[in-house]
Amino acid sequence: MRRFAWALVVLLVAGLAVGGVAQPRKLKAGWIYVGPIGDYGWTHAHDVGRRIAGKTLPWLETTYVEKVPEGQVEAFIDRLVRAGAKVIFTTSFGYMDGTLSAARRHPDILFAHCSGFKRASNVATYMADFYQVYYLNGLMAGALTRTGKVGYVGAFPIPEVKRHISAFALGVRATNPRATVHVRWIYEWFNPAAAKEATEALIAEGADVFAFTEDSPTVVQVAAQKGLPSFGHYSPMYRFAPQHIVSGQLVHWQKIYIDFLRKVYDGTYTPRNLQNVDYWWLLAEGAVELGAQPGMPVNPVFRPRLEAVKVRVSGIGTVSVYDLVLRRLREMSQSPPAFDPFTGPIYDRNGKLRVPAGRRMTVQELTTMEWAAPGIVGPWPKEPK
Amino acid sequence: MDVLLVTFLRALAFGTPLLWAALGEIVAERSGVVNLGVEGMMLLGAFFAFATAQLTGFPALGLGVAALVGGAAALVHAVVCVRLRGNQYVSGLALGMVGVGIAGLLGRGWEGTPLRTPLPELSWLTLSGLVLSGVVWVFLYHSRWGIILRSVGESPAAADAQGVQVFLVRYLAVGFGGLTAGIAGGFLSVAYRPSWTEGMTAGMGWIAIAITVFSGWDPLRAVAGSLLFGALFHLSFRLQGFVAPELLKMAPYLGTILVLTVATARRGAWWQEVPEALGAPYVRGER
Repeated sequence: MRRFAWALVVLLVAGLAVGGVAQPRKLKAGWIYVGPIGDYGWTHAHDVGRRIAGKTLPWLETTYVEKVPEGQVEAFIDRLVRAGAKVIFTTSFGYMDGTLSAARRHPDILFAHCSGFKRASNVATYMADFYQVYYLNGLMAGALTRTGKVGYVGAFPIPEVKRHISAFALGVRATNPRATVHVRWIYEWFNPAAAKEATEALIAEGADVFAFTEDSPTVVQVAAQKGLPSFGHYSPMYRFAPQHIVSGQLVHWQKIYIDFLRKVYDGTYTPRNLQNVDYWWLLAEGAVELGAQPGMPVNPVFRPRLEAVKVRVSGIGTVSVYDLVLRRLREMSQSPPAFDPFTGPIYDRNGKLRVPAGRRMTVQELTTMEWAAPGIVGPWPKEPK
Repeated sequence: MDVLLVTFLRALAFGTPLLWAALGEIVAERSGVVNLGVEGMMLLGAFFAFATAQLTGFPALGLGVAALVGGAAALVHAVVCVRLRGNQYVSGLALGMVGVGIAGLLGRGWEGTPLRTPLPELSWLTLSGLVLSGVVWVFLYHSRWGIILRSVGESPAAADAQGVQVFLVRYLAVGFGGLTAGIAGGFLSVAYRPSWTEGMTAGMGWIAIAITVFSGWDPLRAVAGSLLFGALFHLSFRLQGFVAPELLKMAPYLGTILVLTVATARRGAWWQEVPEALGAPYVRGER
């Protein structure tokens, strides 16, 4: 009888244990945002990615904190860890050192830092980059400008923004070799008044097509008021100027988030093997998209104008800009891409050879580039001689 | 177009909200009450003007609502500072932060939305800002009410002894400041940049406070100050090809420091003194 009772207890415990394992296992991930999720730019896009990941992965539980000052990231990481987060995404360049320091104190938590370059055994890095998409927008901007002056309102003169403007300018020059890209810096990620005034200044100087890096649809709206075409940035901005927005760049952070979290869940990623995990995801991975809204690479309103402009491209022959854009988009969406805008020979605007003929720039070179492509006009802080 | 003409027009456009906000702050400070919550009141005004204009199609109505909301927010500050004798600087900063927060919260669903029926940038509102500064000037320096207001800001005890209702005057002056700050914010969201974006004032409230000091609490000099800041703001983008953008970004602030330095050095002649009782709560029967 006693033996039977013991057997029963053993069976019961075993059953509970098995049942416990069979229970769907949960994974909690936390996001740290630098801006408000309503900013309609960077933070908004990351938050959309978080929400889609939460809907896609049934075992995922998400949480976030917004408007976290860069110097205070460690305290907020601790808070998320106390709240049970096993994976933490820090989504601003300025969180880099704080993330690494917190990662040393929480060796069992997995971290991923967005847009940085420092990793550790439990810190990965990731970035969805726009340079290919900027090149495509540049092709269209070059075809659309009548004055030959394309305006660009830039946030901060850091390598990321410079890379995008240079890719944009290479595109502009590919369809309009005499056009110039006029750059004005506002020294802020978000400042609608400054973005507005910078656009007004560019309009006063004759620019008639606009692109920008700032977290609001200001440039699109100001240009549209004057009837001028522009390219959206970051979030779907089509609805703000459906007659005047040509295209733009869109981000899909969820592609990276879902891939990363799946690999954490299935045990591929552990807090001990992230040293070499770096996502640098582009068109081919679906992390970025061409267009002012998903599924519309080029606003149909502008199709006739883009089809009317024909250009000669080596290796292709004479082609309309519209067809060229779609062709380059296809080529860059292949894995590996059949075309890359940063393929040599590329000279900078001072005439110095930056990329030798036939060579493509490496990720390392792209993330640290400071030089300006030909055709860019305006101040370029830290421009190498 | 001619660079000078464009710069002047841009200075008028950007200077208008600065002027409206500064005029209200001048009146409030003339009564002895500092209100550092201009940024928050402007944002509240911007949001309510936008929401009203978007829902009704009447931007002028939006400006009216913005004025009421700004005035109501300022009265909270007045109650804290005048009646409860709280610290004006702390209360103003708190009002500013609360205003920014509330506007951001209410505006979540409107983020980035363009206004259906915008006002032109240069309109009757720009003109009325200029007219208002003339009216405020006449009021302050050439009316009995203006003398009373200024005496409350210089020496509330003396004014009180003369039978002036110090508290009432301060309530009205602070309330007026909120009203104009609300309109200033409303101008941003229905005319200057007809849309709503969280935090869209981006420091303009602080520039308005700088103009208040810069002007020596004189409404006509506030016109000059607003135009100067508007012009500098525009030129900071126009001149980027010639002058380092980092320097241009600092220009408005460097300009303020420069003017304040010169003005303080020539105290009395060109620049008015700070209202004597500015920042100090008035307690009846105390000296």
